[in-house]
Amino acid sequence: MAEISSGIKRRSRRVRETPEQRKRKKIIQISTGVGVFALICVIAYLAQQSNPKGAFIVMIGAALGYVLQRSRFCFTAALRDPALTGGTNLTKAVIVSLAVASFLFMAVNMANMGLSLENFEQVKAAGKIKPVGFHTVLGALLFGIGAVISGGCASGTLMRMGEGFQQQWLTFVFFIIGSVVGIFPSPRLSPAKPRQPSSCQRHWEDGCRQ
Amino acid sequence: MSEENKPKVDYWEWLFKREWSYTTGAVLLAVLATVLVVVTGIAWGVTGPFAYWGGKALTLIGIDANSWEIFHGSLDKYGFFDGKYSVPSMTNLGIVLGALMSVLLAASFRIKKIKSGRQVAAAILGGLLMGIGARVAMGCNIGAFFSAIPAFSLHGWVFMVFIAIGAFIGSLMLKKWFM
Repeated sequence: MAEISSGIKRRSRRVRETPEQRKRKKIIQISTGVGVFALICVIAYLAQQSNPKGAFIVMIGAALGYVLQRSRFCFTAALRDPALTGGTNLTKAVIVSLAVASFLFMAVNMANMGLSLENFEQVKAAGKIKPVGFHTVLGALLFGIGAVISGGCASGTLMRMGEGFQQQWLTFVFFIIGSVVGIFPSPRLSPAKPRQPSSCQRHWEDGCRQ
Repeated sequence: MSEENKPKVDYWEWLFKREWSYTTGAVLLAVLATVLVVVTGIAWGVTGPFAYWGGKALTLIGIDANSWEIFHGSLDKYGFFDGKYSVPSMTNLGIVLGALMSVLLAASFRIKKIKSGRQVAAAILGGLLMGIGARVAMGCNIGAFFSAIPAFSLHGWVFMVFIAIGAFIGSLMLKKWFM
């Protein structure tokens, strides 16, 4: 919201550009964009050196960023707009996305485990399956408040960092600080693994690790 | 319509400038997330490596975070390109660069400056809350929502309900203090 209003203000203050200037700016930006693509390829090459799937993963990441930016997809806005402005277009899109992903994930599961899913316990299912509990409730509440205040969820913050929002760079720094702070309560809150002997050391990734 | 009367198609405009519909983005995101799962076996997540990045940064400034009981020596094992959290690390970098590339190719890149102290406060508070919330809930809006609900995991649904409530509280706070 604040971005939009400041954007309008800036536009009225901005000096009118001549068509030549605009064309020059366009050429500079597009060639820089090609340069960024080359940079992504270099990083993919470097990743490939130490991880057999590295290049592919970097490219998928870049594609995710491209799609997020091109379609202005924002999970925070999808959850916020019904309450803030009453708009539900993005919310519907998120539902479509979840529906398509559910279908595809189940297809992957069926391909891995057979149509009757008889090996469901043995094979790792696609997607993230984690314990639910009070920690989910508390974490989701905090996350929702933070995402709306800072104007970007996890993916949205990363996307806006690429778009050149200084605010999101600052958010990102404190996101990381918050993550380090957040690992201290997390193993106590989440009953991740079956109860272990009390000698086991608590670890934030999975609650308890020997 | 004859050939001359046809409006000239600006291919650049068509390929890079025009914004996609939300639904296009939604379907493509679902497909990309599935491809990532199929190839790596690990679902798309964002915030998993953030605690490690913080720990690494602490190590850089001279605090021995690796010896903390909570990291349990796992900080040394973390690698950006290989290891347990390498997939989200690499996709995170890819998302930033992919978004940058997308804006640049559309020739609409501009540094959006921070305008007021309120934006600084919003960024600091929002970032901290998101970081803590993501770790406490064991995932962010991607890991505990976008990769969890399609996996038919209950924690994704609980996360969705309470992130919506949190977003509503956040909107009230945003209206009251940060706008």
